Amino acid sequence: MIGVILVEKGNYSFDDVFTKDIVKYGRLTLLGAIPLCFLPAIYLWLVHDAVPSMQVILTGWFLIASIYGVEYVVTPISYFPILGISGTYMAFLSGNIANIRVPCAIVSQDVVGTEPGSNEAEVVATLGMAGSVITNLIVTTVAALGGVWLYNLFPPIVVQALDYVLPSIFGALFALHAVRNPKFGVFGLGIALIFNGFFSGLPTIALVPICVFGTMIFGAFDYKKGKKAIETK
Amino acid sequence: MGGYLDIANSLGMWIMAIPVVLITGVQAIIFVKKSLDACKTKVVNLSKEQCKTAFRVGAVSAIGPALSVFIVMIALIAVIGGPMSWLRLSIIGAAPTELTAAQMGAEAMKVDFGGSDYDLTAFSSSVWVMTLNGCGWLLFCGLFTDKLGKLQDKVAGGDSKLMGVIASAAVLGTAGYLLSRHLLAGGPSFRAGIVSAIAMLVLEKVAHNKPKLKEYNLGIAMVIGMISAVVI
Repeated sequence: MIGVILVEKGNYSFDDVFTKDIVKYGRLTLLGAIPLCFLPAIYLWLVHDAVPSMQVILTGWFLIASIYGVEYVVTPISYFPILGISGTYMAFLSGNIANIRVPCAIVSQDVVGTEPGSNEAEVVATLGMAGSVITNLIVTTVAALGGVWLYNLFPPIVVQALDYVLPSIFGALFALHAVRNPKFGVFGLGIALIFNGFFSGLPTIALVPICVFGTMIFGAFDYKKGKKAIETK
Repeated sequence: MGGYLDIANSLGMWIMAIPVVLITGVQAIIFVKKSLDACKTKVVNLSKEQCKTAFRVGAVSAIGPALSVFIVMIALIAVIGGPMSWLRLSIIGAAPTELTAAQMGAEAMKVDFGGSDYDLTAFSSSVWVMTLNGCGWLLFCGLFTDKLGKLQDKVAGGDSKLMGVIASAAVLGTAGYLLSRHLLAGGPSFRAGIVSAIAMLVLEKVAHNKPKLKEYNLGIAMVIGMISAVVI
C-alpha cells in the first residue's frame, strides 16, 4: 500500500527502484556462482578420486592467468561504457559478450529507439540481454543433450574432421583479430613460431608468458611510439 | 578417445552442472522483473509494449550467434563431455577461452589435450583450470561492477586507449601461440589452421556490412578448415 502511494506521488528515483537492487542481486549471483562452478571439480575429486596434484593445479592456473589475467580486469572496464552496471552483471555471468550480449543490447535499443546513455537505454539493454540469455540457455541445453546423441550418429569422416577443430578455431580466431591489428598479429605469430620452433624445449610455463607478454609489450611500445609521433607533429 | 569420457558424461556430472546453468537463468528473470518495476513505477519512460519488444528483439537476435555456439559446442563435447560443455558455455568464457583453459590444464600435466594419454586425472586438471579461469571475471565483476562507473571517469583522464591496445595485443599473442603449435605440427593440422584463417578473412570481407551474416563467420570458417584437413 505504501508503495502505491509513493508511486502516485512520484517519489521513487531510478536508483531506488532499479540500480540498488540490481547491484544487490548482481553481486549475489556472480559471487554465488563461484562456489557452484567448483562442484564438478570437487565431484570428480571426492567421488571418482580424480584430482591432479596441487602443483599441477597451480601450474595450470598460472598458465591460464598469464593469458587471461589481464582480461579479468580490462574486458569489464572496456565494455562498461556500453553495458552499464546491470549489463555488466549480466554479460559477465553469462559470457558470450562480444558475439551475443553486446549486439543484442544494441539492437534492442535501436528497435525501441532510446537515447544513448539514458536510464531508458539501460533498462532496454537489460531486457534485450535477458532475452538473449534465455535463447542461449535453450540452445546450449539442446546442444548438450542432443549433441552427444548427434555425435554418435556422425559418419566417420565427420568424427575425423572434429580432430582438427582446434587448429581451425585458433586459425579463424587469429585471423579475426589479426585483421584489426596486423602489426600485433605478425609479431604475435612470429614470436610464437620462433619460440615453439627453435626453443620448444622450454617449458610451457615459460613459453606462454614470453609469447603473450612479449606481444603486449610490443603493443604498448608501438602505441607510445605512434602517440609521440603525433605529438611532435 | 579415452575412458574418461564415460565419467565426463555421467549422471553425476550432469547434476553438478545444473546449479550454474540455473543461476544464469535466475539472474535474467530477476533483472527482467526489476526492469518491469522500473517501468511500472514510472522512473523510466517506457511502455509495457516497449519492454516486451526489447526482450523479444534480444531473444531473436541471439538465435544466430547461439547457433554458432552450438556448432563449436558439439566439438567441445567430443573432448570434455556434455555436462562440462553445457556448464562452461552457459557462463562466462566463450568456447575458444574454454578450449585454451582445458588445453592448459592438460599441459600442466604434461599430456596432449585430447591425446591418448589424456586420462581422467588430466580431464580433472582441465576442469580445475577452466573453473579457476572463469572465476577471475566472476570475482572481479562481482566485487567491482558498481565501482566501475567511478573508475571509468578516472581512467578516461588517463589513457584508456592504451589499455585497449594492450588487451588486443594479449589476444593476438595468445592466438598466435595456440595457432603456432598446430602450424608446426604440419600436415592436416597446418592445412586446417591456414585454410580457416583465410576463410575467416574472406568471410569478414563478405559480411562487412551484414552483421547477421557475421554471427556465423567463426562457425563457417571452422567447418571449412576442418573439411580441408580431411578432404584434401
